[in-house]
Amino acid sequence: MSVQPGSPDKRPIPLTLLAIWHSVLTLGLIFGTWRYTQVQETGINMLTGVVIALVLLLAVASAIAVVFILRREHRGRVISLVVDYLGFLVCILGALHVLGAFVGIDSLADTFGRGIIFLLGAFSGYLISTLGDRYENHPARQRFFQRSGKIISIIFLLIFFVAIINFSALPSMLGRLVQPLPLALLVGALIFGLATWAMWAKATAQAMAAKNNHEELLSGWLFLSPNLLGFLLFFAGPLLFSLYVSFTDWDAFGTKNWVGLQNYAKIINLDVVTLQEPKQRASEVLDVTIYDELTRFSFFGKHILIGAEDKLFWLALRNTFLFSLMAVPLSVIPALFLANLLNSKLPGMKFFRAVYFLPSIAAVVGVALIWQWLYNAAVGFINYFITSSVGLINGVLGMALLDPQVRWLSDTRTALLAVVIMASWQWVGLNTVLFLAGLQNIPAELFEAATVDGAGRWGKFWHITIPMLAPTTFFVVTTAIISALQLFEQVYVLIPTEPPGGPNNSTLSVVLYLYQKGFQRFDQGYASAVAWVLFIVIFSVTLIQYRRQRAGSGAYAA
Amino acid sequence: MYRKILWTFIGLVVILAFVLTSCAPPATPSVVETQAPQAPEETQPPAPAGEEITLRWRTRPDNQAEIDVYQDASDAIDAKLEGVTLVYEPGGSETSSYQDVLKTEIGAGTAPDVFWIPGTDVADFASRGLILNMYEMGKSTAGFTIEDFYPGPMFHLAYNPETAQSGADSGTLWGLPRDVSTFVLYLNMDLVNEAGAPDPRELAKEGKWTWDAFLDVAQKVRALGSDVYGYGANAWWGPYGVWLNAAGGGFFTADRTACALDTPESLQGLEFQRSLYVDYDVAVPYGEDSEPPFMAGRVGMFQNGRWATPGARANAKFTWDVVELPTGPKGMGNWLFWGAYVVNAKTAHPEEAWKLVQELTTAETQGMISALGTNIPSRVSQEALDAFLTFTPPDNNQAFLNGLAQNPTAEGPVWAGSWPEFDAIMGPAITAVLTGDRSVEDFAASICDEANKTFNR
Repeated sequence: MSVQPGSPDKRPIPLTLLAIWHSVLTLGLIFGTWRYTQVQETGINMLTGVVIALVLLLAVASAIAVVFILRREHRGRVISLVVDYLGFLVCILGALHVLGAFVGIDSLADTFGRGIIFLLGAFSGYLISTLGDRYENHPARQRFFQRSGKIISIIFLLIFFVAIINFSALPSMLGRLVQPLPLALLVGALIFGLATWAMWAKATAQAMAAKNNHEELLSGWLFLSPNLLGFLLFFAGPLLFSLYVSFTDWDAFGTKNWVGLQNYAKIINLDVVTLQEPKQRASEVLDVTIYDELTRFSFFGKHILIGAEDKLFWLALRNTFLFSLMAVPLSVIPALFLANLLNSKLPGMKFFRAVYFLPSIAAVVGVALIWQWLYNAAVGFINYFITSSVGLINGVLGMALLDPQVRWLSDTRTALLAVVIMASWQWVGLNTVLFLAGLQNIPAELFEAATVDGAGRWGKFWHITIPMLAPTTFFVVTTAIISALQLFEQVYVLIPTEPPGGPNNSTLSVVLYLYQKGFQRFDQGYASAVAWVLFIVIFSVTLIQYRRQRAGSGAYAA
Repeated sequence: MYRKILWTFIGLVVILAFVLTSCAPPATPSVVETQAPQAPEETQPPAPAGEEITLRWRTRPDNQAEIDVYQDASDAIDAKLEGVTLVYEPGGSETSSYQDVLKTEIGAGTAPDVFWIPGTDVADFASRGLILNMYEMGKSTAGFTIEDFYPGPMFHLAYNPETAQSGADSGTLWGLPRDVSTFVLYLNMDLVNEAGAPDPRELAKEGKWTWDAFLDVAQKVRALGSDVYGYGANAWWGPYGVWLNAAGGGFFTADRTACALDTPESLQGLEFQRSLYVDYDVAVPYGEDSEPPFMAGRVGMFQNGRWATPGARANAKFTWDVVELPTGPKGMGNWLFWGAYVVNAKTAHPEEAWKLVQELTTAETQGMISALGTNIPSRVSQEALDAFLTFTPPDNNQAFLNGLAQNPTAEGPVWAGSWPEFDAIMGPAITAVLTGDRSVEDFAASICDEANKTFNR
C-alpha cells in the first residue's frame, strides 16, 4: 500500500538536488578526512581512528544514498535521512559545545531562582483549573475555571521563561556565533536540517515510492532516536572507551600507550608457594619485587603462602564477597517477613510501609554520616546504649558482665560488619516494597483453598507464599547482589580512615579500589581493567543465578 | 492551529531561555563597596581598556566562615588588579574530595586558572604537565624572591626533577605556599586539672615536655573513667608521622627515593605510639574520629593542626588551650604542613595568573586569612608572626610557632615515585600495628618490600 497522495500544491523537492548534496557531502567528508590525516604530525591514536572510521562510514552511506536516490528506491531515502539527521544533530550539538552551552549549564541554577515566583503563579493557574472539577453539574462554570486556569498557567509559564532568560548574554553569544567554527557548524546544521526536511516531506516520500510501513518504521526510529543516541553516546560509548582504556596505561591526562593485557595480567597474577615452616618470611620464598604476601594457611600438613602482584585487588574482592554474603541475606530475609507483616489489613499499615521505605530514599552520604556518629566508639549512641544496658543488668541482676566497648569502625573484625548493618538497614525498605508488590499478586483463592484444606499460617507461607514469590525473590536477590558487589559510598563516607577502606584494608571494596586507582592515583587504565574484571564477576554471578532460577522454575512447573 | 502556534512559541522561548543562559559568560562577583588597598610598587600598569579578562581561582575551605574570608580577599585583589575580573570558586572540603573533583575538571579542561593543591600532590601535578612552571615569570618580577617564604615548602616548590636540584636558580617554580601549619596538642584543661596531672604548658616552658611526661599526663587523664581518654588523633599519615620523625626516623630516605619505615628510628617511634594504643590504652582507639569525643570533653590531649582552631572556638564547652608536641629522642618531630597556589598549565592568561598567585600570598592577604584562626602565614615575617599571636584563643598560640622553630619536616611530594600509592601501602600497615593486629617486628619485615614498589624502578 502506498502513501496517500498529498495535496496537489505540494511538489517534491527535486531529488537530483538531494543527490547532488549527498555527492558533495561524500566528497567533502573524504577530502576532509584526507586533509586531516595529512596535517597530523603526531600520528593518529585509536580514538581518532574510530572517529575517522565513522566519518568514512557516513561518506560511504552518503554515496550509496546517491545511487538509490537516482534510482528512486526507497532505501535511498532511509539512508539519506539517517545521514542528514545525524549530521544535523552533530552540527547543533557541536555549535552548542563550541559556544560553551554545556559548560555553562550551571548558570541555569542562578537564573532559575529569579523565576520561581512565576512558577508558583503557573501552579496557582493549575489549582484554579482543578476548581472546575467541583462544578460537574454546571458545565459553563466548569469551563470557565478550566480555561481561566489554563490561561493563567500559560501566561505565568511564559513570564517564568522570559524571567530566566539572560538577555545580557545575547550580544556575547552573537559575537561568538560569527566566529568561523560556530558559524560553519550553524550553516552545516541549516543544510542538514533542510535536507532532512526535504527528504522527510510527504511529496518526496511519494516520489521515492514510500509505503505506509516505511513511514511507520521511520517514525518509530525517529521517536526512538533520542533514547538510542543517548544510550550510544552516554552508555555504550563510555563503556567501549573504558574497555579500550583498560588496555592502556592512561593516567587521564597524557598519552594512552597500548599495553595489551598487562593490566589484566597484573590484577590476576598470583604466586602459590610452599613454606618450610609456618612463620617463614615471605621474602625468602617470593620475588618481593613483584609479589606481596596475600595470605598463608596450612592444608593437609603443608604450609601454603599465596603472593599477589596486586594484593589490594584481592583483598578488595574478598571484602566485597564477604559483604555480599552478609548484606544480601540481611536485607532480603527480614524484608520478606516485613512484607508479610505489612501486607495485613491492620490499621496504620500504610504509615509503617512508608516508614520502612524511608531509609531507601535517604541520601547515602547523610545516612552514613549519621551512622558514623552512632558507631563512634567513644561517644556513639550504640556503645552508650550497650554500656547503659550492661550497667543496668549488672545493677539489677547483680551480675558482672563486661562492657564490650566495641570499636565498630576501627576494629578489623567489626568494621565490615558495621558497613553491612548500615547497608542492610538501608536496603531492606526497598526489598520490602518489592516483596509487597509480589505478595499482592498472589491469588487469594490459593490461600482460601489451603485454609479449606486445613493448612496453618506457616504451611501457607511455606507452600504458597514462598513458591509464588519466586520471580520476585529472584529479582530482589539479583538486584541486591549486584548492589552489594558495587559497594562504594557506604565505605567511602562511613569509615573515617585516610585512605578510605580501613582499618587495615578490611572494608576496601572493589569499586572503592578502582575509584582510588582511577581518580586519586592517576591510573585510569588500570582502574578500567579492574572495572571490567568486576563486570565479569557480576555477570557470572547473575548468569549462575539466572540458570538456577530457570532450572528451579522448570522443576516447579513439572 | 492556534494551539500549535502557541506551543511552538512556548517551545522557542524555552529553548532561548536555556541556550542564552547557558551560553552566557561566567558571572562576575559583586564588587565590595570598600576602599581599594594601596597598590604595591611592583604592580603592573593597567591593561588597556577592552582587555578585561576573567580569572577563576579556587582553594579548599573547611567551612562557610573560610569561604567568606576568601571571597573578601578575592574582592580586595579584584579591586587591585586592573583589567582582571576574579571569580572565586570555593572548592569542596577535604571530605568532599576536593582533589578528585579538581583532577576530573583538569581532565575535562574546565579547571580554574589558579588553584590550591596540598604539598604532597605537587609532584604528581607537575610531572604530568598539569601545572605551569612559573620560574621565568618569577625571575622577571621585580622584588620577588622565594626566600620570602619558609624554606621547607619552597624546597619542594622550586624542585627541578630533571636536575634533582632545588633553589632560586633551579629553573622551576611550581607555585607559592598559601599558608603553613604545625601540629599541636589541643588540651582539655578541665580534664588535666581534674586528673591532677601537671600542666603540659608549664612542662613545655621548663623543657620537661618529653614523651614520658606526655605519657604520664595521658595516663592520669585516662584514669578518670573508662570513657575518658588521655590522647586522641585521627587516622592519617600526619599524626603517626610525627612519632616517627621525633625518634629520628621518617617515611623516606633522605633523598626521598626509597622507603625508610623499617629503620630502627622509625620503628622506635612507631613502637612508642603503638604502646599508647595497645599497651597503655590511653588513646581513643586508632581509626575512630577523635574530634567528636574531644569536643564532648572526653579527651585530654587532641593532636591536630591550626585548622582545628575554629572548630574548638565554636564547639568546645570547656577550658581549652594548646601545647607543642612533646619531644622524643630526636626532638619534637613536627610536620610543616603546607599547600600551594599553582597555575593551571592550560590557562589562557599565565601572566595574570602569576600576578594573582603573588597577590594571594602577600602578607596583607595572608593576614586576612590568618585572622580567622585557620592557619599561619607562609611568609617568613616577624610582623606576620606577631600578628598571628594576637589571634586568640588559644592563648598559647606560641605553641604553633614553637613547632615552626624546631626544624619541622616539611610535608612534601615524592618525585621519584607515587605518594598516593605509597600512602595506600603505609596507612593500612601502620593501622594494623596501632590497632594491635600486627606486631612492629612483622611490620618491619615486609613494609619496605611492599612500599618500595611505589617508587620508579
